[in-house]
Amino acid sequence: MNCGECVEHLYEFLDRELTPELEREVRAHIAECTPCDEQFDFEEMFLKFVRARCQTQGAPPELKRRILRELFGE
Amino acid sequence: MADDKRASFEREALIHLDALYRVARRLTGNEADADDLVQETMLKAYRAWDQYERGTNAKAWLVTILRNAFINEYRRRSRHPETVDVDTLEPYAVFPDVQDEDPQGTFFDRIVDDEVLKAIDELPEAFREAVVLSDVEGMSYQEIARILKVPVGTVKSRLFRGRQALQGKLYRYAVEQGYIKGSVA
Repeated sequence: MNCGECVEHLYEFLDRELTPELEREVRAHIAECTPCDEQFDFEEMFLKFVRARCQTQGAPPELKRRILRELFGE
Repeated sequence: MADDKRASFEREALIHLDALYRVARRLTGNEADADDLVQETMLKAYRAWDQYERGTNAKAWLVTILRNAFINEYRRRSRHPETVDVDTLEPYAVFPDVQDEDPQGTFFDRIVDDEVLKAIDELPEAFREAVVLSDVEGMSYQEIARILKVPVGTVKSRLFRGRQALQGKLYRYAVEQGYIKGSVA
């Protein structure tokens, strides 16, 4: 696997959507290729960052109460 | 019977309330519509609860109800652009730009929640919903494909372009704020 093929699978790899065989090939490539390894780390960090920033938002307590009232008459 | 229904709905559906709210908030673009959309989704889901196959994917089932309600009733008044204008999306490969200065992307840490949410809200809808379902809610390509009623390949390409566009926006913001010197035009 060369760098171009490896980067093509970048997101599928990070999203754990590759077949086990392709995943092994990607792992083998980034273990030996520093630029690809750095790029994968960068993208992985970015996805974690987005999730962390967005996960803090949840349903407002008043909405939860409103829904429980509507559903169960409480 | 009613108690069983209520108990299973609380256990399998209501635990996804926060996730539904996050999706609704990003789809509608405002709090009032997000509140109404989530409430409507939960009422619809409770009425249809007998048709839901217990123990399957409740979150995906609920998001599907929510999205259908959004398309039928809310989309026209959402403040987001309705159509997928691919030209408005500017994917930008950030890594080559920061590779020397900050290859670990530590500059992102300085960007606060609201800026990230705002940048997501600026993505065209098709890309925004793929990014939210994957990156925020952690759903698989297959789940997203079913919810959006598109092939898995389309999910992949929307995620690729949506993520790159989001990254580009946040990078440009970080450069403007002086969090990173960068080389962006």
